[in-house]
Amino acid sequence: MLRIKKDMVHHHPPTDILTEHASGVLSVAQSACVAAHLSYCQRCRHTTERLEDIGGAQLERLDPVAVGESVLDRVLARLEDPEPLRYARSEASDTRLPGLLDRLINGDYADLVWKRVTQSLSISYLKTGDALHEFALYRIAEGGRIPEHTHGGSEMTLVLQGGFADESGEYHPGDFVIREGWDKHTPVALEGEECICLAVLDAPLRFTRLRHRWLNPLLKLRAG
Amino acid sequence: MTEKTNSGGTSPANVSAKWNVPTGRRTDEWSEALVLVGDSQDRAAFTRFFRHFAPLIKAFALSGSSLSAAHADELVQEVMLKVWQKAGGFNPEKAAASTWVYTIARNCRTDMFRRLQKFDTPLASDDFELESEEEESFVVLHTRRGSERVRELMGDLPPDQAQILGKVYMEGKSHSEAAAELDLPLGTVKSRVRLAIQKLQALMEA
Ligand SMILES: [Zn+2]
Repeated sequence: MLRIKKDMVHHHPPTDILTEHASGVLSVAQSACVAAHLSYCQRCRHTTERLEDIGGAQLERLDPVAVGESVLDRVLARLEDPEPLRYARSEASDTRLPGLLDRLINGDYADLVWKRVTQSLSISYLKTGDALHEFALYRIAEGGRIPEHTHGGSEMTLVLQGGFADESGEYHPGDFVIREGWDKHTPVALEGEECICLAVLDAPLRFTRLRHRWLNPLLKLRAG
Repeated sequence: MTEKTNSGGTSPANVSAKWNVPTGRRTDEWSEALVLVGDSQDRAAFTRFFRHFAPLIKAFALSGSSLSAAHADELVQEVMLKVWQKAGGFNPEKAAASTWVYTIARNCRTDMFRRLQKFDTPLASDDFELESEEEESFVVLHTRRGSERVRELMGDLPPDQAQILGKVYMEGKSHSEAAAELDLPLGTVKSRVRLAIQKLQALMEA
C-alpha cells in the first residue's frame, strides 16, 4: 500500500464511477485508473467495499441454477493444480506507484517512449488493450502549461507525481479528476517538481486557441 | 442465505485465533467454511461451500444471458478454484463471504468476456485488486456493520431501483447499456443508481 497520508487526497471519483468499477463494468483503461486512485485513497477503498457488498447481497438473492455433480468432481480433481504465477514488482520499480501501473510502465518513466507535444508537455501511450480508451502518461515540466483544450468525450486524470492547478482547483498525487464534454481547461503544473499524470480519454484532446490548433492532428486518439 | 453472526456455538476454537478479537469476526456458516479451507485445506468445508455458492455463481453467469450454459459451468469451475486458492486471504472481519465470492466471480466473468472476445490486454482482473492492509479495529467494526446493513436494506429498495442495481451488478451492464435496454434516458438510470446507493448509504450511517 502506498505510504501517502490519507488526508492528502482531496479529489475523488464520483459515486457512479465507483459503482461501475465495483460492479466490473468499466472498460479496462478506466478501471485501471480508478483502481490506481484506490491504492492512494482509503476513503474510496471503503466506499468500494460497501459497493461490493451490494454485489454480494444481490448474489445471495439470485435464484440458484442447478450445477451438475460432474462440475464439482472436476473442480475437486483440479485442487492440487499449481496456482497461476502472480506478477511481482521489479526491483527497480518506483514503489510509490500502484502495482498495476508499475506493471504497465515496467521500469522507469525515463525508459518509456515519450512523444513531445509542446515545449513543456510530453505524452507516453501505454498499451492496455482497451479499444475505446487511450491510456497515457502526461509529463509536464514544472510550471509548464498545457494549452487551453476541450474533450469531445470524457477524460479521467490521476496525478502520480508533482501536481497541477486549473480553473477548478489544485491537484496532488492520488487526486482524481473526471471531465466530460466540452469544458475548456488550462492546466498548469505546480512549481518544484515535474508533474506526471495518468490520463484516460475516450476522445482526443482538442486545443482551442488558433495558435495551438495545428497540434490537433498529432493528438488523434491512440486507443488499444 | 442468512447471516448467523450471533449464533456463537459451533466455531472451532483452534481455527484462526488471529481473528478472534473483541470486535468479533463473522461466525456465519460460510465465513467459517472459508476459514477452514484457508487454514487447513479442508475439502469437506470446500464441498459445502461449493454446494451453496456454485448454483448462485451459475445464476450470476447466466443473468444478462450473455454466456452459454457451458461457459456458465466453466465460470463456476474457475471461480471455485480461485476460492480454494485464495481462501487463505479471506478476512472474516473485513468482508462477508458472499461479497468476497462476488468479487472473485465478477473478476472471472470479466476475464472470460475478454477471452471470448479475443481481447488482448496485459492486465488480468486480479491485477486490479489491492494488496490487503492492516486496519484499525474501529474501522473494521464500522465496516462490518455497514456490510450487514447493506444486506438487510437491499430488500427495502423500491423495485425500479432494485432492478437497475441488478442490471449493473448481476448482468454486468454499464449505466449506458442499462439505459438502452430499459429504454430510459441515461440520466434517469444514473439517478436511480445514485438514489439507491444514497439510500443504502444513509441507512448504513444512521
Ligand atoms: Zn478517493
